Amino acid sequence: MVLTARRTEPVTLLQRERALRPDLALIVSYLALSGLGLVMIYSASAPRLLADGQSPTELVRRQLIFVVVGIGMFILASLIEHRTLKMLAPIAYVGSLVLLIVVLYMPVVAGANRWISIGFFRFQPSEVAKISLILALAATLAGSVEKTMHWREVAKSVVLVAIPAVLIFRQPDLGTMLVLGFVAVVMVFSAGITWRQFAFLLISAVVASVSLFKAEAIEEYQIARITAFLDPTADVANTGYNLAQSKIAIGSGGLFGRGLFQGQQTNLSFVPEQSTDFIFTAIGEQLGFVGATVVIGLFAVITWRLLVAAANGRDRFSQLVAIGVAAMLVFHAFVNIGMTVRLTPVTGLPLPFLSAGGTAYIAMSVAIGLGHSVWMRRSPVPVDADL
Amino acid sequence: MKSTWRLGAVGFVFVAMFGILTLQLWRVQVVPAEDYVAQAEALQVKSVYTPAPRGQIVDRAGRKLAETRPAFSAVVDGSLVPEAAVEDLVSLLAAFTGLPADEVAYTVEDARTRGDRRVVMADLDNEAAVYLAEHREEFVGVSVIPVPQRTYPYGNLASGVLGYIGQPDPVDIEEGAKHTDILGKAGLEAQYDDELQGTEGRIWFQVDAFRTVLDVLGEDFPDPGNTLILELDIELQEVLEQALTDGLELARTEYNPDGCEPGSEEDGTEDKGCPVRAVGLVMNVNDGSVLAMGSVPNFDPSIFVAGLDEQVYQALPEGALINFAVTGQYAPASTFKALTYVMAMEEGISPQDVDSVEEEILCSGQLAKPLGEGSQQVFFNWTREDDGLQNIHDALMRSCNTYFWELSYALWDEYKGTDQENLLQDWARLVGFDEKTGIDLPTERPGIVPDRELFSKWADEDDPRLDPSRLDFESPWFGGDLFQAAVGQGSMLSTPVQLATAYAALVNGGTVWQPRLVDEIRTQDGDLVREFSPTPVRVIDDLSAATVRALRNDLRRVVNDPRGTAHSAFIDFGEDLDQVGGKTGTAEVIKRRTDDEDNVIQEAVTTALFVGVTPIDDPEWVVVVIIERGGSGGGIAAPTAKPILQFLLDQPMTEVAPALVAD
Repeated sequence: MVLTARRTEPVTLLQRERALRPDLALIVSYLALSGLGLVMIYSASAPRLLADGQSPTELVRRQLIFVVVGIGMFILASLIEHRTLKMLAPIAYVGSLVLLIVVLYMPVVAGANRWISIGFFRFQPSEVAKISLILALAATLAGSVEKTMHWREVAKSVVLVAIPAVLIFRQPDLGTMLVLGFVAVVMVFSAGITWRQFAFLLISAVVASVSLFKAEAIEEYQIARITAFLDPTADVANTGYNLAQSKIAIGSGGLFGRGLFQGQQTNLSFVPEQSTDFIFTAIGEQLGFVGATVVIGLFAVITWRLLVAAANGRDRFSQLVAIGVAAMLVFHAFVNIGMTVRLTPVTGLPLPFLSAGGTAYIAMSVAIGLGHSVWMRRSPVPVDADL
Repeated sequence: MKSTWRLGAVGFVFVAMFGILTLQLWRVQVVPAEDYVAQAEALQVKSVYTPAPRGQIVDRAGRKLAETRPAFSAVVDGSLVPEAAVEDLVSLLAAFTGLPADEVAYTVEDARTRGDRRVVMADLDNEAAVYLAEHREEFVGVSVIPVPQRTYPYGNLASGVLGYIGQPDPVDIEEGAKHTDILGKAGLEAQYDDELQGTEGRIWFQVDAFRTVLDVLGEDFPDPGNTLILELDIELQEVLEQALTDGLELARTEYNPDGCEPGSEEDGTEDKGCPVRAVGLVMNVNDGSVLAMGSVPNFDPSIFVAGLDEQVYQALPEGALINFAVTGQYAPASTFKALTYVMAMEEGISPQDVDSVEEEILCSGQLAKPLGEGSQQVFFNWTREDDGLQNIHDALMRSCNTYFWELSYALWDEYKGTDQENLLQDWARLVGFDEKTGIDLPTERPGIVPDRELFSKWADEDDPRLDPSRLDFESPWFGGDLFQAAVGQGSMLSTPVQLATAYAALVNGGTVWQPRLVDEIRTQDGDLVREFSPTPVRVIDDLSAATVRALRNDLRRVVNDPRGTAHSAFIDFGEDLDQVGGKTGTAEVIKRRTDDEDNVIQEAVTTALFVGVTPIDDPEWVVVVIIERGGSGGGIAAPTAKPILQFLLDQPMTEVAPALVAD
């Protein structure tokens, strides 16, 4: 991959048409995950809804609307020119900060203010913040050169991450904070940070986290979730309950699963939040190791396509956007699936394209749409795609 | 292109992350799948215990003394009540049940800390049960479960024998009882708890995580407890308790024409002279079956069924919950003379001045004997004056202390310090004193038969029951102690049931029967589970028929002879009086005390005893009546026993009326 700025070369019409060819592997994986998501949401929610006297398709119908909107947004994002995007980056960043401030004054839902409600439309600004941070970082780091990254750019990046991170921390939403951190680290690393700068950043991050704990700024429930992760059997009835139930459900799936709609644990609502954060549990229980591996494989395909797009990116901005999106996707999938098998703490991150929920689905669709756009506008000159 | 390695590194990290996920999935899903399937299935099934109806207790004619009827209880499941809901739930429940809020709060909190079910209110009426069941959402964690209720149709009757039930205490819980269990706590309810409990049933539900029941998977029906069939006759029991009540009332009016209350020592209201209670039992002398037993005042066992109310408990007279017929230990006093009498006849002991017990000596009003411990004691007969010439038969009829002291003196003089020294005590132990009778009730006490060994032991252990001044002597056991023992006083103690057992053995020819209340245990369907046959504890082979005949005859004279100590009490008995025998006893429990100027500080207080045997020619029943601090045996206890004996002989019962103070 070339990380030096490219000279813009004239592109023939033919080349442009070839360039605009969509990435079928990415799109197929994306749609497959979305479709599976709808099926699993139905499987996980129908029995409970029926028991409550509601229509069993209530939740899945809502999700279907989000999926349709999300696919539309994916197409739109795929079509955005990266130059336009780079121009939009500062606006998007500032706009998302405003939303993050506004959300702090919204009513508390489930112990946190993460939602902005406009009429019957609700959305989570933190999802928007993830994307605008990727754009802002990409724009900032686009000028740097391998091994010559200035401390000034490092400092700018830190500030860019710190402001939304602090605001999100106030909600509080530990998971999203971690997403921002991970995405930033991957992007800064890819942009050519020196080892010394990298070490400095890591040490600062550790110092910052320790002082947060010391200042008791982290909510008790967040600590509880993390300690429950470390010893989930200690308190099975409460915090560890999610984890223990989830692991039991997934474990009972075995190699081939209990069969679709045969999830005893998930269908009987033993696993909490099973259509949202714990949707993977239903997959693990009903479709088994094979099904779960296919899901991970689909995420891996999307990630691979995004990295290939990055390698072929027309300019450093595009490349960094694709890398940032890939990092965001991987981190979500890793932390969410990891949580259901007790590999990572419960942080409340949804599983991209599968978890029920509007903002997250649409935001993630936009994100990979942006990555897809990088592929569609890739450099016409073959680059050494040695990935 | 040199820096492609950075993208490669990122790709490598991403691949590693997906790899780790897959590996962990393999570990969780494929390696131990079986185990998780089992765990998953266990979680979907919830079982609920259905309590078994407690077994019945019926009398010998099948009349139900304790039975169980279906009812519902409200229970709170602590694991289903979140912290935030506690306050609302408590106020709601308090308003609904009418119980004090702090009591409800305690129950709810207790259920929450233990994470299991506690009974909020037992025996709901139908309306309340239906209301609770219909408003489950408001009463978070509360459910209505069938909990059969115990009822005692005869109220106070036989309560000492039946006992009572209650919720498990911490010790029971440690031994595996559940908080919603009901356990026997006293009497037969406790003694036969395992038989009465039955086996609880269980219902398995398939539930979801909100414990909404989706399906009933199966049910084990509860197995009701077994039925106890007693030897007890509730009609006779009623006669006994009525007589005891009347006798106690009589004793109280005799003590004070306006009546009295014994009060309690704790709050300073104690009236030491006021008769405290009346205790009695009727036993078959030929097989040990107990036909009636109890003490008055007693209680209604149903007050315990829904949990004992503090106020009700405070209002109970002292000792109302205790069955003194097995737990009370009393000096047998002159009733013990029958034993001394048999010992003397069988061992050939006679007063020193005569050659045989058939010869008469003077029953003097007082007696002084050189007993050798430097304590030249003067003993007074109850008559205080000389009572004429008497042989052993007259002495029993007249309850002449002096005569029995002469017997003890002869025994003491001849055998003290030898291995024959305990002749009297050995006889006492033969007929069952100094050991538990083995009656099928908890809390039985063994009584005391004192001898040199016991007093030495007490001396070694600084036992407060022994006067410290005795420690100055070589042995703390004096001749005077044997004198006391011979007339059932001093340190001699016996339970009423022991006294009945001993008398039964003496009049039936020497068989000591183990007293028993339960005859059979049957399932609710009537199948026999266990049968309790009469059990002899001991048979005294060398008890001569002549002695037994003589004893029966002299017991008859106590009642029938105009000079007998119980004669005046039985004056209106009716035609079968000649079939009644008995022995009076008056035990001094508080000594008369005077100050320096001879003013009385404390009048002597005595406990009245009477042991009756009937029909005396061929004895069937022994009746024991004890009025604690009640006065004299002849004046109070004998009249109390009269209607019981009349009932046993199918005579019309006559009033419990005061008789001449005797014994």
